[in-house]
Amino acid sequence: MDSSLLANAESVVARARTGDPEALGALYRAFEVPVYNLARRICRTTEDAEDVLQETFFEVCRSIGRYREEGSLWGWVRTIAASKALMRIRRNKYRETDELHDQVVGKRQEDSHLRMDLEAALERLSETSRAVVWLHDVEGYTHEEIAKMMGKTPSFSKSQLARAHARLRQWLGEEVAA
Amino acid sequence: MTHLSMDQLLTLREPGSEPGAATAREHLNQCPQCQTELDRLHQRVARLKALPSLRPGRDRWPETAARFRADRLRRRTRLAGLTGLAAAASVALVIGVGRLFQPANPATPTSAQISQAMERSQALESALSDYNPDGRVLDGRTARMAQELEDRIAQVDRELEATELSQQQARDNDLLKLWRERVGLLDALVDVHVTRASNAGL
Repeated sequence: MDSSLLANAESVVARARTGDPEALGALYRAFEVPVYNLARRICRTTEDAEDVLQETFFEVCRSIGRYREEGSLWGWVRTIAASKALMRIRRNKYRETDELHDQVVGKRQEDSHLRMDLEAALERLSETSRAVVWLHDVEGYTHEEIAKMMGKTPSFSKSQLARAHARLRQWLGEEVAA
Repeated sequence: MTHLSMDQLLTLREPGSEPGAATAREHLNQCPQCQTELDRLHQRVARLKALPSLRPGRDRWPETAARFRADRLRRRTRLAGLTGLAAAASVALVIGVGRLFQPANPATPTSAQISQAMERSQALESALSDYNPDGRVLDGRTARMAQELEDRIAQVDRELEATELSQQQARDNDLLKLWRERVGLLDALVDVHVTRASNAGL
């Protein structure tokens, strides 16, 4: 994140609220990478992630007047980004094949006895599982918060996380010998 | 011996205690295999957090900003329609009442002049939307010109918002000036798009 923005966050936000293009551009530059990273870690393709990036900042520009400075600016932007990314995975064509995707990839990896690196293993999780892993383990959202954003129950989020970690452990060759 | 499930291991990482956590912890203290599993889980999460940041392949800000400007313009047009009616009505009322008590000041803009500028502005925005500027690919120079004009229109819009809240006399003078400036800028913006469209044979 751009530290110069963090130092002048109040004045930049105040100017952004008036629609000042320079201030809105500064917000984009400050949060472009973390927003894209979150989107790319959740969405399957770079195109989807770039669309989420654009959707997020369009929403930031429109709603900055409603930002109440109760939490951190990044926390506010991040929640918008997470919602947009989850909306994207709900909408996209892979959503109906999540279950199948996990099973097929899991089987293929078992058969080939390949040890994958973490990046590749994460990529191979279904979008829903990957979203839960990323939001919970990396971004620090609770199961309750994730459930609310996904329109599911906390139990759903917990079981997705457990299943995802079991798969990651297997694909990474980390199983402990009994 | 039954080892801890992934679900139980994850629960042990959560703050606060859930039902069964005490039993699970008791097992963990006595089971080296589950301790190794939990360590690996901690390490896996640490490695996830340490993954490098991914960066977008291209700059999406110009598109995002253009979309936001177009959205603002549309909202402003709708707002101007409503504000125009309200302003025309209030100006007409003030002028009507004022004329009963004092001679008209020729330097004060009339509601008709302000309404005329607003109508012209709306007509130009309508013409502009016919050219679908957001959906067109512009060369760099044209895009820069269009962006500069749109930025100046956004600036005028901000001034209009502020002026609408100021005192009546100064307000009418400034409103007319700003609406006329807006018309001029929109005129130039329409020209940019018309010229570009005719050059491209569209």
